[in-house]
Formats: sequence, C-alpha cells, structure tokens
Amino acid sequence: MAELVLDINIRGWVFLPIVLITFLVGVIRHYVSLLITSQKKVELTQVQDSQVLIRSRMLRENGRYISKQGFYMRRHYFNNEENGYFKTQKRAAPAQTAMPDPSMMTEMLKGNVTNVLPMVVIGGWINWMFSGFVTTKVPFPLTLRFKPMLQRGIELVSLDAAWVSSASWYFLNVFGLRSIYALVLGENNAADQSRLMQDQMSGAAMSMPMDPKVAFKAEWEALEISSHKWALADLDNEVLNVLLNKSIK
Amino acid sequence: MVNFSEAQEKLKKYREDNERKSKEVLELWDSSVKHKINQLGNDRYLVLEQVLIAACDCNRIDVAKACLQMLLNKFPDSLRVRRLAITILEAEEKYDEALESLDKLIKADETNAQTRRHKVAILKAKCQISEAIKELVEYLKKFMVDQEGWQELSNLYLLEGEYAKSAYCMEEMILHNSQNHLYHQRNADIRYTQGGAENLELARAHYSYAILLNPNNVRALYGLYLTARSLMSSQKNNQTKKNTFKKIATLSLKRVEHIYSEKRQLNKKDQLFELETLMGWLHLSLN
Repeated sequence: MAELVLDINIRGWVFLPIVLITFLVGVIRHYVSLLITSQKKVELTQVQDSQVLIRSRMLRENGRYISKQGFYMRRHYFNNEENGYFKTQKRAAPAQTAMPDPSMMTEMLKGNVTNVLPMVVIGGWINWMFSGFVTTKVPFPLTLRFKPMLQRGIELVSLDAAWVSSASWYFLNVFGLRSIYALVLGENNAADQSRLMQDQMSGAAMSMPMDPKVAFKAEWEALEISSHKWALADLDNEVLNVLLNKSIK
Repeated sequence: MVNFSEAQEKLKKYREDNERKSKEVLELWDSSVKHKINQLGNDRYLVLEQVLIAACDCNRIDVAKACLQMLLNKFPDSLRVRRLAITILEAEEKYDEALESLDKLIKADETNAQTRRHKVAILKAKCQISEAIKELVEYLKKFMVDQEGWQELSNLYLLEGEYAKSAYCMEEMILHNSQNHLYHQRNADIRYTQGGAENLELARAHYSYAILLNPNNVRALYGLYLTARSLMSSQKNNQTKKNTFKKIATLSLKRVEHIYSEKRQLNKKDQLFELETLMGWLHLSLN
C-alpha cells in the first residue's frame, strides 16, 4: 500500500490553527470566568453550625480524656431538653421546593456560559470548518479499535488507524493542553476543561445544600448514647512502671 | 548591604515559616528592598504587608504608613488593608479609634474570624480583661473550634483568677488534641492551683497522663510529686493508697533529680571541653 503523503498546507491551515484556537479559547475562558464569578458569601450561621458539629464530634471522640463533670457539662449544653443547642436551634431547611435559591440559579447559568457554551460552539465550528482533514499520524501502529477515537469525521475503512482526523485532533488538544495552561496562567486556572468534567461528575453530590436539621438530629442521637468513660483513671501503676524503668536506666 | 534577590528569598522564608523577625525584616527593607519594590511583581503586596507589621513591631510608624499608602492605592476597598490600618492605630496606642473602626469591619464581614480576634487583642492591650473575656466568649460561641481562641480564653481567666473556668477552656484544648502532653500538664497545673481533694485527684490523673506521653516533662514530674505529697497528707485516703502516693512521690522526685543531674553533667562536660580547647589554644600560642 502506498504511503499517504499530506499536503503541507494542511499543517499550516488545519493542524496549527486548531492548536492555536483551542489554546486561545482556553485563555479567554479563564479571564471571562474571572470576570463573572462572584465570591461566595458564607452565612454566619453556616459557619457556626459546622463548627458546632465538629466540636460535638470531638467531644464524643476525646471526651474520655477530660473530667466527668466537664464531659456532662458539655453534653448538657448540646443536648439538654429545654435549652440545649441541638434542641433549640431551629434552622430553616434549605429550600428543596419547586423554586431553588435564585443565587444558585445564576451561579449555574454562569457556569454554563463559560464552560458548556464555548465547548459546544467552538467544537461545532471546528467540526464544520475543518471537517474531513487527515491532520497527522501517530508514530506507532494502532489497532482498529482506535479508529472511532482518532478518526472522527472520516469514515474510511481502508485508512490506517494511526492517522488522526481534524475533529479528533481538536479533542486531543482540549484535554491535552492542561499543563500548558498551568504554565501560562498559573495553577487553578479556569481554562482547563478536563477538570471541569470532573467537577460536573462530583458536582451533583456537592451542590446539594446540607440540611443542618438532619445533621443536628443525628449528632444529638450520637451524643445522647455516648457516656463518659474516663481514660485517665488508674494510671498509678503505669506511671510507677515508667518511673521505675527510667530510673533504672 | 544584602543583595536584592537574597533579601527577597529571606523575606519569603520568614513569611512562609511565620517567623516574626521584625527587626531583620526592617533591616532588609531599609538596606535593599525599599528602592526596588516595583521589581517584586505580584509578591510586592505581600512584602508590603509583612514590612508594615514588622514596622509596627519596631515602632517605625513612618515606614508602616508608607507601606499602607502603597497598599491603599492598589486595594482601596480591601478589608485586609483596613485591618492593617487598624494595626497601625494600635501601634500608636490609639485604641479607641482602632476599636471603632474594628466594629465597622466586623459589621462589614461577619464571618471573618480575624477581625474579632483582633478586637479581643486590643481589649487585652488596654487591660480591660473582663471586656476581653466577654468578647472572646461571644466569639467562641460562633467559632467553636478555634483552638487558639480557647487557649487565650484560658489565659485570660487565669489573669482574673477564675481557675474553674480556665480549666474548662483547657479541657476544650484536650478535646481538640488529646495526645499533647503540654495540654494535660497545664490542665493539671490549673487543677492543682485550684486545690481541694477532687481537683487534686484530677491533677494527679492529668499529670500522670502527661508523664506517660512524655516521660521527660519535668514540670509534670514535679507537679505529680507535689500532688502526691498533698494527697498523702489528706485524711480521706486509706493506708494502701497512701503508700502508692508515697511511692509515686519519691520516684517522681528521683526522676526530676536524675534529669537535672544529667543536664548538669552534660553542661560540665561542655565546660570541660571548652576549657580543654582553650588550654589547647594557649598551648598553641605558647609554642
């Protein structure tokens, strides 16, 4: 089979422009997202709630190291029927009704504007503009399985799987430019799309607002059944052992 | 004269290690960094902040104000810069003005722990301990896991002689980090000072645990000795218990003595070594 030779113009007008376009779009996205993201405001009650939960958890874990009185004083403070912290704090459950928090909506919209929209528009444009080019060849043989991955947009049965089509080259660039962005824009830039994908995966679980009521109830129960077992009782013999061993040496 | 890049490195190191070498920082500033501040790039605002605080430490208000002006030009609305302005007021001992602007800052950003802590610090500097305590308690109600806050509250209560409350704060520290022998020892110190049979028992337990965690904690050893002695003389305990206490007291005292004698020998060796080297020098020069 005769070796395929690519026109030099393909390098100048397809191969390099795709790299350049993806890179510049990434840079622009970084600055646009800097422009429109807003600092998240944290509510004071939110801070307090999370800290209370941490403190109560620590009380359960390390309560055995403090005096009995100290332990029950703290438990009383959290769990007391009349005015304990977990009993009296009535937090409105975060709205899970039909209309979610409007600020959340704008956040989501902003995310879409900077992330999903350019991906769709630029991707579509590149597909249309540079469709059907064979741009480059990977320097090693590949099996047929790689054909749909590397030769998107070209359905040629007889073409060797090592050749890369323009659309696939674009996608390789989208995911492969991460370290270049880190070099140019610094760490934690917003240009990288593969990071974004991960965000979207875990985002569903993260964005669900925590309901303090449920957490308080769980913590209340856990604290209610924990009792004080003093870890420091009867240390006399151990201390004597330590002192004896040390003084013999 | 230190060269510029060296100075830059040093400042960065101080900043990252949280070292408060104010004098050194100011010297670096005066000798080289001052004239080349524009060459620092994005680091320059961090350096300005660092120098500002150092200048307040060394009572060089003029330097501090110059830094503040540069920061204000860049970030006119920043809360962090406004807090630095308050630091300068504090250094000039204009406490009332400082408190006034701090209150405004707290209102502007309620979730900022630093501003609230700053307020407590100023009240403490004014020697209004009871007010500082009140403010700190309010703060800790909101930010319950601030260890340093609890430690400071414990110290403030000690100043006021409120041992029981101070011990409560110390217990909070132990909850945060149950394996730190210093917290146990300190808690025991407070309990021992408080006195009473029950507190002595607590002190004994915490001293013991501190020793188990670190057998070289001399303060804990001596504390255990004192506590055991007081418990020996109390009427409530039976004979077997008294014997244990006696054993503990003698052994811990022995251990303290042992540690000190070790130290002394070491020092002696050092001294001897130094003497010998000195003699060696003499010898040489005589030759």
